[in-house]
Amino acid sequence: MLTKSIPSGTQSHLMPHDLDLLDETAWRDLVDRFGYRMWAVARAFGLNPSDAADAVQAAWLRLIESVHTIRDPDRIGAWLVTTTRHEAARIGRGRAGDPLPGLPAEIPAPDGDPVAAMLTEEDGRRLWAAVDTLREPCRSLLRLIVTVPEIRYAQLARCLDMPVGSIGPTRIRCLKRLRSLMEEDR
Amino acid sequence: MTDDEYVLAALRIAAGADPLPARVSADARAVYGLRLPGAVTASPVRPAPEAATGVRPLGGVRSDGCADDGDPRLLRFAAEGLTIDMEVTVCDSHIDLAGQVHPAPGDGARVEIRTPHVSKIRFPTETGEFATTGLPLGWLSVVCHRPDRPPVATRWQCIRR
Repeated sequence: MLTKSIPSGTQSHLMPHDLDLLDETAWRDLVDRFGYRMWAVARAFGLNPSDAADAVQAAWLRLIESVHTIRDPDRIGAWLVTTTRHEAARIGRGRAGDPLPGLPAEIPAPDGDPVAAMLTEEDGRRLWAAVDTLREPCRSLLRLIVTVPEIRYAQLARCLDMPVGSIGPTRIRCLKRLRSLMEEDR
Repeated sequence: MTDDEYVLAALRIAAGADPLPARVSADARAVYGLRLPGAVTASPVRPAPEAATGVRPLGGVRSDGCADDGDPRLLRFAAEGLTIDMEVTVCDSHIDLAGQVHPAPGDGARVEIRTPHVSKIRFPTETGEFATTGLPLGWLSVVCHRPDRPPVATRWQCIRR
């Protein structure tokens, strides 16, 4: 929980107490509430545990750097998830050999990324119910991707008896079908 | 849901697969101790060409495992009229750091080199230079403390091989 009112102005070294937005209990509460979601997002980008840990830690460090700019505490969770996503994508691009883009200078508004706030267990339960209605190979493919985060396309191809070149397109098609089912369910 | 990664993340959360490692959670909690109320955050900017020679490490600061012909990383941060240059040399199991504050912060200033678990204090030279060795690989931030001015802290950077 937030323990102090949020300053409406810009930072000032003259009022350090106003900048100390969260007490330690509130911070721990944030970690407990959002840590797993942030981890899941980082891992969903295919990052190994070490890189995923860096993506999650980056988001926490960005928050401690930017905490004085927060005006709406209800957005912190969505912001953490969104920032983890940006960091995970950045690390992933770096691993792929692309130059690392710069970091966002300030806390982005989560309005442009509304799904970040919807990453709940209820969403997951609805998604799993939808997965169970998919035909093969989508059902097995998604189960493997989710439960074995670091599985490679070659391993998936062997498990599913599919050409390795078709794994990527099939993955895209299955996720698109899953999203369609979710939209129909709304 | 409009994004494949979020779909996969939501499935993973509901499945309870791949739990959050305790170390990651502990590191996140420890970040609270790194806050610097009142500090100004210096954002990264593109290093100037002369930075490569302007922040050469002081003689003898490289430690074992760091080749002299290595390729140090040049980082520049700026805020509040202050520029902090960092030359980071990644060694086998640690990193060495040489840097310079522009303009030189003057008497009474100190430079704090921070990692999540280690903090080192250096008093910059008349020209604003500072250096240290043996920092752990990983997250790094440099803070310039000046009398009667808010501290200026570089954004945290992750330094890996």
